[in-house]
Amino acid sequence: MPLRVPPRDPRTQSQGVEPGYAQTAQRWPSQPLQRRPHTVSELSGPSSVLRRLAPVRGDLAGHGAKRAIGQLIHLRTRVVDEDGAPLPGAVVEIWHCNAAGKYIHPNDTHDAPEDPNFYGAARMVAGDGGLVELRTIKPAAYPVPATGGWWRPPHVHFSVWGRVWLSRLVTQMFFPGEPLNEADAILNAIRDPEARERCIARFVPSENDLIYEYQLVVRGRKSTPGMP
Amino acid sequence: MKRLVPSAEMTLGPFFPREFAQGANDLTRVEGRQARGEAIEITGRLTQADGKPLDNVVLEIWQADAEGRYDNADFFGWGRAATDAEGVYRFRSVRPGAPAGRAPHVNFLILYSGLMRQLQTVMFFDASPDPVLDAVKPSTLRERLVANRQNNNTYTFDIRLRGEGETPFFDD
Repeated sequence: MPLRVPPRDPRTQSQGVEPGYAQTAQRWPSQPLQRRPHTVSELSGPSSVLRRLAPVRGDLAGHGAKRAIGQLIHLRTRVVDEDGAPLPGAVVEIWHCNAAGKYIHPNDTHDAPEDPNFYGAARMVAGDGGLVELRTIKPAAYPVPATGGWWRPPHVHFSVWGRVWLSRLVTQMFFPGEPLNEADAILNAIRDPEARERCIARFVPSENDLIYEYQLVVRGRKSTPGMP
Repeated sequence: MKRLVPSAEMTLGPFFPREFAQGANDLTRVEGRQARGEAIEITGRLTQADGKPLDNVVLEIWQADAEGRYDNADFFGWGRAATDAEGVYRFRSVRPGAPAGRAPHVNFLILYSGLMRQLQTVMFFDASPDPVLDAVKPSTLRERLVANRQNNNTYTFDIRLRGEGETPFFDD
């Protein structure tokens, strides 16, 4: 059965220009977006992105003398489509700042220390059940320059390839119970409270580890409209 | 089956790892071999509302091979580039053939700090009839999606995110 990509639900997605995030008013188009028919071009996609992008790092926390500073956490992310069907083989890029709020990126001017044992970027492939498991350290909050007091809450960036070109997903994951979540201009760009709640990882009690579960739902479904 | 709501998209942010942004903008190389077809270069400048060129913008493209086929074992039609300090991106590719029911074209996806969602647009090689190009309203905007041919094999496709000469973008 061919894949369909239903239109975005505006309540569950940012509408582009967000108060409190000044750059959006410079960069989001002023004109309404155009609607187009979906053809083979939009409904196909690279069946293996790994032919162009190799997996890099599957563990950002390290071990022993090479252990990154910070609270060790385990991220269990599942990639599924709109039918809830898992996507084993999906390629996922993950990046986040260190336990002091500093990114590995040269453009990060935040006055926080780098950690020589932490390199916050991984490219992984989903296994059975669409599961991507990353051992890492919990990222810290950091201030956004020239915004008069906007601090990003701790968050993890994800970039995901789904089944087709229109399934591409770039998003962020937040941590439960963080006071900065309440005022974050990016998280609160999602108006629907339930959709916003889904951007926050679930803490899973466990004897030995701090485990966070998260689900990434990429666009596209195979089932017929109206079927139960 | 109960439908799951797709995840909320969020900005790439300013700190997308450099190593991820680089090294994937040459589509003519396929596992050490040269892709079949006419080699072309696609280049352009990204600007925002005040006309300022944008550094470090991530662009991804998806296109058919020289015969108009997608996801072919002999041609990997996906690539990624990032703009430099002058806002300029560059891809090497092959000129796509016409897929069934479509004119030759290259799909663009733009990810950047300040873009809460991915932006999608399409580059065409001329103004031939095409169901996606012809869906752009008003029709006077369509010429903005047609690349400028500089010489035999270089096509210029500038992208204005917002403001004067704004590029048409698609919602899906």
